[in-house]
Amino acid sequence: MLYKILPRDSYQSFVENLIRNFDFIGPKRKDKATHEFTKITSFGELDLSYKKTTIPPAKQILFPSTEEIVEYRREDNSIEFRPVVEHSLKLLFGVHSCDINAINFLDKVFSTDFSDDNYLSKRRNMVIIGTDCEPRETCFCLAMGKEYVTAGFDLFLSELTNRYFVRVATSQGNKLIEKYASGISSAGEKDFKEYNEKIGDFRKKFKLSPDAKSFYDNFDLIYNDEEFWKKVAKNCFSCGSCCLVCPTCFCFNVRDEIELNLKEGKRIREWDSCMIPEYGLVAGGHNFRPTKENRLKQRYQCKLKTFVDKFNTYACVGCGRCIETCLANISIASDIDSVRKEVTV
Amino acid sequence: MKEKESKKTIYVPDIAKITRIEEVTPTEKLFNIVFEEPKKQEEFSFKPGQFVELTVFGVGEAPFSITSNPNNKEYFQLCIRNIGNVSGALHRMKEGSKVGIRGPFGNGYFPYEKMKNHNVLIIAGGLGLAPLMSLIRYILDSRDDYKEIMIIYGAVNPASILYKEDIGEWCKRDDIRVCLTVDNPDDKWTGEIGVCTNLIPRVDFPPEDTKVVVCGPPVMYKYVVQELEKKEFAPEDVYLSLERRMECGVGKCNHCHIGNKLSCVDGPVFSLWEIKNLKEAI
Repeated sequence: MLYKILPRDSYQSFVENLIRNFDFIGPKRKDKATHEFTKITSFGELDLSYKKTTIPPAKQILFPSTEEIVEYRREDNSIEFRPVVEHSLKLLFGVHSCDINAINFLDKVFSTDFSDDNYLSKRRNMVIIGTDCEPRETCFCLAMGKEYVTAGFDLFLSELTNRYFVRVATSQGNKLIEKYASGISSAGEKDFKEYNEKIGDFRKKFKLSPDAKSFYDNFDLIYNDEEFWKKVAKNCFSCGSCCLVCPTCFCFNVRDEIELNLKEGKRIREWDSCMIPEYGLVAGGHNFRPTKENRLKQRYQCKLKTFVDKFNTYACVGCGRCIETCLANISIASDIDSVRKEVTV
Repeated sequence: MKEKESKKTIYVPDIAKITRIEEVTPTEKLFNIVFEEPKKQEEFSFKPGQFVELTVFGVGEAPFSITSNPNNKEYFQLCIRNIGNVSGALHRMKEGSKVGIRGPFGNGYFPYEKMKNHNVLIIAGGLGLAPLMSLIRYILDSRDDYKEIMIIYGAVNPASILYKEDIGEWCKRDDIRVCLTVDNPDDKWTGEIGVCTNLIPRVDFPPEDTKVVVCGPPVMYKYVVQELEKKEFAPEDVYLSLERRMECGVGKCNHCHIGNKLSCVDGPVFSLWEIKNLKEAI
């Protein structure tokens, strides 16, 4: 990691240079209340005051909701399958720590056991520039240890008085700042001091602080408490919205589409949700998770336990998108604490 | 920029040909499959308990266990019940048709190495015999490496009994014990009646010298495990093949997860000890 200072005066021209030279994706105001990550063509379109986008910034690019992965072709009795891989260079600007941590999680998923080239080719061609944020009421990344990110980005910009504190994590990031920004200097004692104060203040701003550590062991104790889980899942509509907005959810279905000429076809993967009843259904009609209690319980297990065992990390970055999106007002943050309360009472 | 690369990804199947189809019950057919590329066929090797992902053009892809002997290098065989989209389409196909194959997948297989010099107890329920056939055929090739072999097989009714010819052969041998049972007998049935769990109390293999393998419908495991535990088989010596919904076969789609394990890459065969405290496993 290199630590550099970008003067405020140079900031706009730096960003403009990036917009000119890259397929630049950043946060843009969509309407009064929402922002989305989309193609930015001028500095004025970029709005870093956004708090949270409904759909996570990188997921829709690296792992789109529907994605062609194989195409095939039939002639008489011969069939040909061909991989479809997209890998154009993209620059993602203005990503928050929690969302970069989520990308780091997805990187692990798609590179463990087998390498998923459909994801990894796009990831290898993605430049990520992070920026700092202000916590919202539903944010609990601090409790999940995801409020700060140390890898997975090329540059991370934190705004200080009249300047930006720039963490440079890759040589690619270093090249960008050397080539496209002017007035760059190394960060000194004064800069670090102000940066540390800023991060310290940021950590004090969180309102939600669920005790995720207690969930890990207590979950085992409460697993078979049917009454408890019925209470937790009582209002769930099994709609799967929580998974659609989740930056770490990666479950997908695979389906085939064939052209009307019956000669060409494609294989598509599309987001699935473990909250939907068909998720655990196998041919023959057996469903491994027939009730909404089963399903919500397993979602929490996946987020808070499974990947602690597998990758030594939570599969929840505490972004709070599922809390804001849930029509039934189900909150993973309060449910984490209910597990603890139920067990300790 | 979307590119059609020459480099294969994990999702691209190899082309293979169905060389033989045999109807074994009203709902099950055996499919012999050979890769179109001779080199691929030569290289294709698998272990008992592993599975492949099979593509029917225009319909989709589904996972199927391999039933043939791993020593058979000429072709591999799948035993497929007509029950879903892909299996239904397969049942309508003819010999000579082309399919796509990915695999073999599954790092957890029936551990035949560990079974050597021990008694082997094989418990199959219904279509669960299919993946076990691969193991049975394999260990019978080197019968002397194993001590006693006992096969317990439960089917719904006499008509649904799979591999009747093979079972007939086993019954003629004096180095395998075969116990067959059906839930719903017909007039001609003279054998055992009931679920295969009922036959476990009769097993007289010493637990410290026995390896047990189990495969059957999801509902079966809990009861089989209860009976095996009464017999005091060590959980490390009991192996279960766990079926789950699978979309990708390569540990990405997450549908087959059982706690922190994935059936496709960590299984599909697990020791009872591995899954002892895995919720939803059995």
